[in-house]
Amino acid sequence: MKRIIAYVIASAASIFFLYPYLWMLVSSFRTTAAVLRNPLRWWPERFDLSGFESILQMGDLSLLRAMVNSLAITGASTLLAVLATALGAYAMTRRPQAMAFRLLRYGFLMTMMYPYMLLVIPVYIVVYKLGLLGGYAGIVLFLAVGPIQFFLFEQFFRTLPAEVIEAATIDGAGEAAILFRVVLPMARPVVATVAIITFLLNWAQWFPVLVISTDADTWTLPVALLNVNGELGTNFQGIMALAVVTTIPVALLFLAAQRQVMQGMTEGAVKG
Amino acid sequence: MRGGLLRALRRESVFYVFAIPFAALTIIFGLWPIVLSVITSFTASASALKPVPVYVGLANYAAILHDPLFFSSLGLTLLYAVLAVAANLGVALAYAVLLDSPLLAGARGFFKLAMFLPVVTPDVAGYVVWRWLYDQSFGALNAFLHLVGLPAFGGVASPATAMLAVLVAELWHHAGFYAVIFLANLAVCERALEEAADIDGARPWQKFVYVVLPQLRPAIVINLVYALIQFLKTFTVVVVMTKGGPSGATNFLSYYAYQFFDQARYGEATAMATVLFAIVLLAATAVYALGERGRV
Repeated sequence: MKRIIAYVIASAASIFFLYPYLWMLVSSFRTTAAVLRNPLRWWPERFDLSGFESILQMGDLSLLRAMVNSLAITGASTLLAVLATALGAYAMTRRPQAMAFRLLRYGFLMTMMYPYMLLVIPVYIVVYKLGLLGGYAGIVLFLAVGPIQFFLFEQFFRTLPAEVIEAATIDGAGEAAILFRVVLPMARPVVATVAIITFLLNWAQWFPVLVISTDADTWTLPVALLNVNGELGTNFQGIMALAVVTTIPVALLFLAAQRQVMQGMTEGAVKG
Repeated sequence: MRGGLLRALRRESVFYVFAIPFAALTIIFGLWPIVLSVITSFTASASALKPVPVYVGLANYAAILHDPLFFSSLGLTLLYAVLAVAANLGVALAYAVLLDSPLLAGARGFFKLAMFLPVVTPDVAGYVVWRWLYDQSFGALNAFLHLVGLPAFGGVASPATAMLAVLVAELWHHAGFYAVIFLANLAVCERALEEAADIDGARPWQKFVYVVLPQLRPAIVINLVYALIQFLKTFTVVVVMTKGGPSGATNFLSYYAYQFFDQARYGEATAMATVLFAIVLLAATAVYALGERGRV
């Protein structure tokens, strides 16, 4: 009996978490008129693709361009995040007493406390001063630092056995060789976890992208979705179709790497 | 000897080289903007982007302190933060305890997956779907309520229900994150203590309050800090679902500040940002300090 109640509660909660996906998918294949007649259907009457066709070109921005932007910006910022954070966290854990590193760590923690949305306003001013407004570089650079990434790397490097580095030093290896030939190969699992989590988080980013962009040429999928959703004269089916396109890639990535993502985000949060 | 010293110096300097990209990104896109934000809050908006801004002292702060809308927005933000933190952590804790119990053995993996999928779903996409789920004519929610004979839910269209509608959508997006942190903590709880409580004849709720809850303190402190920071700066959901309305019912501080930024009133916008930063910092440190001292 207790078992049944537990299953009923958990199933109800799962419907709350999952139903929006089903409704989004089904609605993206149904005409707006059909949804207005009956919003509740488990399956489309027939698969109507006009919603997806309607978003192939959104004003100045093509869907293809938005997809390429999303992939390029998320991919580049993920690569940069992994490289810069791994190197930085490694140096900082190898020399934790260095004054410069202690200051850097403290400063980093402070930026992470600053409400993200409010940081974007002054970042607009910084990007403006650097002359990077409207380009990809400003967006990619801004998205390349985050707390979870740093804490995951720091935690891994701290648990690295000292003997490993001592042994390599005795063998006459320089610091660069130790890092690239000994430590990083050992860090492969944590590098993968950080890369996947960064990709998921940066794919969802919309505010910095919108603020640093000067026109639709650098918009990513979430920004395009926000814009289409805010337009007058609602293209409901198109909005659902674009929400599907925005969601599916990260949903698949998460399903493929679920354990790593959940564990990594927990550890990254608990350390901070 | 001199060669050895040089080699040692070179060996040390290599760490600084490693740290350059990370340091540069942190300084240019983290610290500089914060400093700039504080400086901008002391300048006249029209000159904020100029090479030589005009300093106006505390005029921007005085302006927002004389703005009644700022205070109603601040009050709304604090109220929402308290409600959202309580709802999210309450639901997350209850659900984590349920998922941790042996009752769900077989399907636990699926339930965890369902709960965490919204966390990694782009928030804009999730909130766009929720905005339409609530819709009076398109929405599945009211169609369902009508079907089972319940009164319609006003959703984001009515000032009375807009905050609740926003809260539910945010709960959908965030609760799974807090729940996995509780789950991680539950996994390291001392089972022997619970068994001892069972032998002593403790009721289930007594066992929970006196045995389980104290062991969950680390997760509670972490989640409280994260949730406070999260919900004090609630923004995306407002942009997507309500634009601060209806009649200002969801005009939280970060959205109010953003409107000033949008009108190029940088001085007032950054003054508000600084005030909100101070509140977030204060709240987060207070919770953390209390948690460390064992009062939470």
